[in-house]
Amino acid sequence: MNKENINPAPGFAEASDAKLSTLLRATRVAPTLPPRFQEGVWRRIEEAAAPVKVTGGIAWLDALVTLVLRPRLAMATAAVLIVAGALLGVREGSQAARQDAQARYLAVVAPNSLR
Amino acid sequence: MNRSLVILLGALVLGVALFGSSYFAGQRACRMTRSADDLSWLRDEFHLSDAEMARIQKLHEGYLPKCAEMCAKIAAKKSELETALGPDTHVGVNSTTNVNPVAQQKLAELAALRAQCQAQMLQHFIEVSQTMPPEPGRRYLAEMQRLTLGFHEQTEQSMSKSMGHEHHQP
Repeated sequence: MNKENINPAPGFAEASDAKLSTLLRATRVAPTLPPRFQEGVWRRIEEAAAPVKVTGGIAWLDALVTLVLRPRLAMATAAVLIVAGALLGVREGSQAARQDAQARYLAVVAPNSLR
Repeated sequence: MNRSLVILLGALVLGVALFGSSYFAGQRACRMTRSADDLSWLRDEFHLSDAEMARIQKLHEGYLPKCAEMCAKIAAKKSELETALGPDTHVGVNSTTNVNPVAQQKLAELAALRAQCQAQMLQHFIEVSQTMPPEPGRRYLAEMQRLTLGFHEQTEQSMSKSMGHEHHQP
């Protein structure tokens, strides 16, 4: 049986690739960019990088909301409110409980008819 | 409505709700943890030990039946006074604008009973104060005198001022 040599000659592949590349480059159609394309790209980049400017009379309100909605600040504020409320509640509750206890003792040892 | 304003108001409402709920929870928790015992005020206010509290408890239990007995006597005397005043009298004054002698007698007896009861009460306060360490004992006695007898003084003083005359004591 004759065995066919399927291996190309040395250097054949490189020469073939170079030809193919040249052909492909010649056939590719370069799309034409719209007018002032580059200028538009740079403008968009600048707009994205610049801080947001709020127009109108309540710019401070938007700024405040932006500040308030920061997760760290919101969590810290909530924690402070909870702790402050609980402390005040305990203080007031303690005073009220003391007064209740005093009234209870007084009602037992000194009925109203004696006071 | 402006979106920022809505967000800010929402945050404000949430903050108030957080503060309010923790305030009420703290208050409730504090009141629930306190003892409902009649003598708990003494223990907490005057920082008494278990031994002192046990002695006071004993005095307290001894005093309560006497106090109840005196209160029953006072209630009975008040009932007698009302009967003596009769349905036709108006605050003890009859049609001849004089307090009737029986009502006068009952008033005097009622006052005597009240005085007796108050003396017994003060005696109890003194005994309790002696069971405590000196400083809390003094504070307790002063506080109890203020709470039980001071009320009359305030009333009398306010009446003297409003009536435009003073009772000068020697």
